[in-house]
Amino acid sequence: MNARDRLNQLKAKLGPAILRADLPGETRLFVFVEPSALKAICQHIFRDLDARYVISIGLDDRPFSGKFLVAHDFAFDRDHVLCSVLAYLPADNLKVDSICDVVPGANWAEREIRDLVGIEPQGHPYLKRLVLPDGWPDGVHPLRKDVPWNQVPEGFDEEGEFKFDDPPEGCTVVPFGPFHPTLDEPAHFRLYVEGEMVRGCEYRGFMVHRGIEKLAESVLTYDDIPMMAERICGICGCVHNVTFAQAVETAVALRAPPRAEYIRTIMLEIERLHSHLLWVGLACHIVGFDTLFMQSWRIREPIMWMAEKISGNRKTYALCVIGGVRWDITPEVKAELRQVLDKLEAEWRAVVAAVSKDKNIQKRTRGVGVADKTLVKNVGLIGPVARAAGTDIDCRRDHPYAAYDRVEFDVITEAGCDVWSRVVVRMKEVFESIRIIRQCLEKMEEGPLQTPIEDELPAGRIGVSSVEAPRGESHHFVITGENNRPHRWRVRAPTYQNLQAVPMMIKDQQLADMTISLGSIDPCFSCTDRLETIDLKSGVRRVWSQEDLIKMVRGR
Amino acid sequence: MNIMCAILGSLGNVALVLLVAPFFQGVLRKVTALIQSRKGPPLWQPYFDLLKLLGKEDLESGQTPVMQRFAAYLSLATVLTLAGFVPMGFPAPLDGAGDVILVIYLLTLSGICTLLAGLAAGSTYSLVGISREMMTMIALEPLFAVAIVAGAVHTGTFRLDTVLNGSVYASGGFPWSGVVLLAVMLLSFQAFVQRVPFDIAEAETELMEGPLIEYSGPKLALFKYAQMAKLVIYSALFVGLFAPWGSALPFPLGWLCFWAKVFGLVLLVTLVAATHARYRIDQALRYFAGLLALALGALVLASCGY
Repeated sequence: MNARDRLNQLKAKLGPAILRADLPGETRLFVFVEPSALKAICQHIFRDLDARYVISIGLDDRPFSGKFLVAHDFAFDRDHVLCSVLAYLPADNLKVDSICDVVPGANWAEREIRDLVGIEPQGHPYLKRLVLPDGWPDGVHPLRKDVPWNQVPEGFDEEGEFKFDDPPEGCTVVPFGPFHPTLDEPAHFRLYVEGEMVRGCEYRGFMVHRGIEKLAESVLTYDDIPMMAERICGICGCVHNVTFAQAVETAVALRAPPRAEYIRTIMLEIERLHSHLLWVGLACHIVGFDTLFMQSWRIREPIMWMAEKISGNRKTYALCVIGGVRWDITPEVKAELRQVLDKLEAEWRAVVAAVSKDKNIQKRTRGVGVADKTLVKNVGLIGPVARAAGTDIDCRRDHPYAAYDRVEFDVITEAGCDVWSRVVVRMKEVFESIRIIRQCLEKMEEGPLQTPIEDELPAGRIGVSSVEAPRGESHHFVITGENNRPHRWRVRAPTYQNLQAVPMMIKDQQLADMTISLGSIDPCFSCTDRLETIDLKSGVRRVWSQEDLIKMVRGR
Repeated sequence: MNIMCAILGSLGNVALVLLVAPFFQGVLRKVTALIQSRKGPPLWQPYFDLLKLLGKEDLESGQTPVMQRFAAYLSLATVLTLAGFVPMGFPAPLDGAGDVILVIYLLTLSGICTLLAGLAAGSTYSLVGISREMMTMIALEPLFAVAIVAGAVHTGTFRLDTVLNGSVYASGGFPWSGVVLLAVMLLSFQAFVQRVPFDIAEAETELMEGPLIEYSGPKLALFKYAQMAKLVIYSALFVGLFAPWGSALPFPLGWLCFWAKVFGLVLLVTLVAATHARYRIDQALRYFAGLLALALGALVLASCGY
């Protein structure tokens, strides 16, 4: 079924509610519907047509249409179709039915829309602040177009504190984070523990939300944003860089030259290689097996050197611009990359053989952090977490981009639903990545690296793109705008969905399994802003605010 | 004269333990590094680490700083007292001052120090850490006790010099109980010296060092020192109980033979630690329970004269 067939299906069932539909090509479907029918249509798509929930987007569209816009993105993975269901809301009545009870995975996305755009999801089960800082005043929504990117609203309380829910009876609270040896970035899990068993938890994250989307909509330009986008993540940055470029390219019907597509594929796979090797190392470190941690990082290192040879940097490759790439792969690099891959493959085979036979690691990971198919479907889990639960999804095959339609590879799945299965999936995917890079090096044709862009990019076009990041699908939603920058850009990193399942994964498990369960989704949170000092002699406490710290560092 | 000998001898043992413990730690780190394809720190790095920690500001933190300080002192003191009761290439210097029962008590006391340290910190993590430490202790202590008691049954005495001289094999005929106990002790040795896979109570990536969470500077140095010394002393006890061969040779040979065996044990500990992932507390307890059953079986054998 292509996008048109899916549209006809929707029309047959819910015709009158559909106001208009855009079909730019066979793989994208944008359906504009009545706000009142939004929930029914989402339910139909998610439950009856069995689509996968991707993300929800809110937007202040007043400069264009005088209205607000809500969009829910779904993916028909078997049909290679990405679908958005959009509804305009009048500016004086910013309420929309929550789809949370039919699509549980929309929980965070709807709270984020409420925080940042100010659209109330009616009937949402847990309307607690998600993204905004604790001292942020109610009623100020930073993603609205009348709020400048650098505004600190009146009434912002630096000392504002987050109110946690009460723990269930009989449980003690174990605070996990914001700083903990296994969290590389700040995030707080308040664990409710009974003895050694975790009975539940509350999550508070978004401590370092950087407002990148707002910057893109108000300060940066199309060609700046890919460089900003790759700073979203320290490990899979290139993914965001490519996804943004592709989203804009699909919106304005532009295509990068074939050689550029091959180079994108190669860099994405290089990134997957180093990310998976890094993760296997970290997972081993979490369960106390440091030897394998060191070995897999040693094996990983030459890949980093190759990335540096190609882009000048171990990370943050600054690869894409709209319509192409900035780095070429020279014949010398090609030959060296082949050698590195050969060595990597041989060494990794030895590691996989050793780990597969190791009873000790399996003891710690089998049956731990279980996420089954139902949870995968409901919360919209992706990447190795989904594939380890037997859900056969992979954007590289399902929504081909770059040169993935011209290479052969297998999508690795496992049936165990546990941490061990995730280890196995990631370990095997390393070999597939090596295979893909080899094919690309073989097939890559000569040609230009960038498609010249003669005219200004048209405004008001919607583009979506999904890229299979090492951690799962990274999805970008772009509406093009004026002044050489997007009108709205929504990034959904894979951890956004996967993290929502962690409370379910750790429930009724041993406290000792918490870290590896969390680690198994390969979480990516994002650096910190305050510090407290106590003068021991006088006992005076002083909290240093972000402002004080900046003054101390930059001032004279 | 005898008393002077005992005092000087035990001081000698204490000095020796203090001197070589960081060296063994250095060996452990270096060998681990080699297994992990790293260069590793120089062998004398642990000495510098301890000196650095000892020279740092002595912060008072945690819920009960006084108890915290006390626990750190007691921890090292216990281990060093033990040094006097363990033969280290020579007969145990404090031979006449106590028997093997006292040794068992001292071993337990060093575990209790960890409990005190965790209680004094008063953090959730340290409390989880000590509850794990408690469980480990309850399951583990009987193992050593059984081995010692089996030796005592064979030799009919609790005297240090007799028991800590391969007494587990002193049965008539083939020493069945001794062999079983040797296996049990080899399998649980890693837990006695609190190394991976049995560093459950400290588990850096889960509990952030558990009971030691509030320790820093000199107090941390004492605890670390105690831990390093423990590795030497437990190894010495093991050698005394299960591998006394060669220790009776004349001075330089016997002495060298003893330390070679201790060195071998340290290498073994390193190898096991570098090739295993940490167990979970329930998995570890099940493992210890199996060993305890075996050990009790061996005790029955021993009391029947095998």
